[in-house]
Amino acid sequence: MSEIIVITSGKGGVGKTTTTANLGMGLAMRGKNVVLIDTDTGLRNLDLLLGLENRIMYDLIDVTQGRVPYKKALVRHKKVENLFLLPTSQVKDKSAVNPEELVKLCEELRKEFDYILIDCPAGIEQGFQTAIAAADVAIVVTMPEISAVRDADKIIGELGRADKENIKLIVNRIRLQMVESGDMLDMNDINDILSIDCIGQVPDDKMVITSTNRGEPCITMDKSTAGQAYRNIVGRLLGEKVPFMTFPKEGFFSRLKHVFGM
Amino acid sequence: MSDEIVRIKGTKSGLQLLFAAGATYAAIEEEIRAKLKAGSGFFCRGTVMHAMEGSLPKDEMEKLRKLFHESGVIFSVTRSHIPGAAEGPGERPRRRAVKAQKRQMEAPAQAEAAVPAEATAAAQAPAADDEAVQMVVVNRTLRGGQEVRTKSSVLVCGNVNPGAQIIAGGSIDIRGTCRGLVHAGAFGNQKAFVVADHLIPTQIRIADLIARSPDDPQQIEKTARPERASIKDGQIVIEPIER
Repeated sequence: MSEIIVITSGKGGVGKTTTTANLGMGLAMRGKNVVLIDTDTGLRNLDLLLGLENRIMYDLIDVTQGRVPYKKALVRHKKVENLFLLPTSQVKDKSAVNPEELVKLCEELRKEFDYILIDCPAGIEQGFQTAIAAADVAIVVTMPEISAVRDADKIIGELGRADKENIKLIVNRIRLQMVESGDMLDMNDINDILSIDCIGQVPDDKMVITSTNRGEPCITMDKSTAGQAYRNIVGRLLGEKVPFMTFPKEGFFSRLKHVFGM
Repeated sequence: MSDEIVRIKGTKSGLQLLFAAGATYAAIEEEIRAKLKAGSGFFCRGTVMHAMEGSLPKDEMEKLRKLFHESGVIFSVTRSHIPGAAEGPGERPRRRAVKAQKRQMEAPAQAEAAVPAEATAAAQAPAADDEAVQMVVVNRTLRGGQEVRTKSSVLVCGNVNPGAQIIAGGSIDIRGTCRGLVHAGAFGNQKAFVVADHLIPTQIRIADLIARSPDDPQQIEKTARPERASIKDGQIVIEPIER
């Protein structure tokens, strides 16, 4: 049974594309057939994160407008054989694809792939509406920051309006020191406001930037803490019960304080 | 703005309609139609529009009432200058109202003719009360950007998140945490109140009063008890309650 997952956030820069690349890579490394669709037409980045830019021949627009069959546009990952990317155009804009076309394409892809991950553009306009149209599951990415949480809340409302009820949350770029000192929203605050199922807490990790620049998602790096968090999320997506990472820097006493709300 | 045939002034109890002297009914109606069309968000359902009695003949008033009714605006004919209306620009209608009263004294027959208009206004009043008794139930969390706007009271089984809005003619009861903007008694009901399990809204408005949360986030304490906000001595007061 294949699953179509859209990764969205509302706010830009919280790590939608990074999350898409890492989850796709992780699922593929666990033996699933995965295709990643970039719907951020005009501002495509997913190919860079996967290091596949120089292999692109055709794009999403060519497929939806019927110029080539989708198989020609798929780019196979250089290391992981069962991971594919369907890149989008860098010259067109979001109006080039409409929701019906993407739904039709996803239904075709569903026959061949176990997981279809859609990387959604920022915002709540047409690009967002197109990206979520086909999804069975939505993953909302946010950051422990008031504006990102506010936008995530709005996005969850919009998803509800589009009858998407299966919504998961990933909190990205958690800075351990700042949470510890109380300068950042902590998980309790975020869960209080958003009140949806949280499947991942990803710490802020310098290796994410180096891995992005190298075109290798950090999930492949054993030493990366963010990579470990993404591996845990992949496990949870596959239905395993993985306990949340305990952040090493937060001591026993400070956690006790959180429990008692001090 | 003196060349406008129809002017609309905000007052404490709603909006007041003022006509330029010597305007024909056709011109007035045309302009009101244009205004209703242009300000569709402004003239929300339940807005009360007052017009001075005697500023137009009765049959024309009735036509206007129907016109406003189509847009959900309550049209009421008041006998004299309503309290709280701006003084300066209101001068001319007031003078006319005085004249109208004089005329009534001179001709009692005309005063009798005014009774049905009053009766309709009285008939409208209990209807408005019924609406306040009614309740809208929202069985989900209101998230940022979502809005509930109603003449009646509102019960929310869920949270009201920051960026969400509730504008109710009656009172508001939130079975959850209130972090958004709530406006109870939005159409002038001073007795309306807001109750929530956790009351930490960005803004509370009751009738024409506004209170906002402190700027310093340290001051916002998360109380474990349900609280109730209501108007006491002309101020919004928040106090803990049992439930």
